[in-house]
Amino acid sequence: MLYERSLTYTTDLSAVRTLVREQARHAGLTRAQAIDLELAVSEVAANTVRHAAAQGHREGRLRVWRTADEIICEISDGGVITDALAGRRRPPPGALAGHGLWLVHQVCDQVEIASGTDGTTVRMRMALRRS
Amino acid sequence: MELLAASVSTAESDGGPYTLVELTGEADVTNCEALREVLDAQVSRAPRTLVIDMERLRFMDSSALHVILQATRALDRQGGVLALARPTETVARMLHLTATDQLIPVYPTVREAVAG
Repeated sequence: MLYERSLTYTTDLSAVRTLVREQARHAGLTRAQAIDLELAVSEVAANTVRHAAAQGHREGRLRVWRTADEIICEISDGGVITDALAGRRRPPPGALAGHGLWLVHQVCDQVEIASGTDGTTVRMRMALRRS
Repeated sequence: MELLAASVSTAESDGGPYTLVELTGEADVTNCEALREVLDAQVSRAPRTLVIDMERLRFMDSSALHVILQATRALDRQGGVLALARPTETVARMLHLTATDQLIPVYPTVREAVAG
């Protein structure tokens, strides 16, 4: 681990996105990758507002770090994901739910979701492409 | 400053009157109810064409996208059309990843969006 930045949020998702954009730029992600990472992390952080808050856990935490090969963004909150296939099914066109985690799986190189009674951690990885 | 701002205007084109909603800022789960109020108010006036100008909308998450999809449906039931114009890179990516760009017409200019 080269270094780490972190941020605690309740509803300021704009600050979450700003940190991800900054770190994506520092890490040297391509513009397209940076856009995808911002979309992905924002969706997971939005789940804190959508779901975890309803379960009584308003606070979420973003951690960003990188290795020689990748940038990793991790969102943790007190919510619980009970659907083992969350984000694995493509929502039908025009669906009014289910896009968030599905999108995360589409754009990230790797997604790890750990959820239990003490909360949920979603780790999103994006490879640093050497040109 | 609010994270998301909307301004609404009506104008005439060759094809008739249209409603233009210009969005500025970032639309996400924390402000999509405000976006819903803006769009619902316009849909209830039953315009034939409603164009959302996205040139200054830097970011949109799936919650905001769902609000736009619902407005599209509501307008469609009334025989109207909702079109999107000038999405920024990040917003265009969201429209593409969710295949929304296959459901709602997206145009590079407001003029083309109005012409349909």
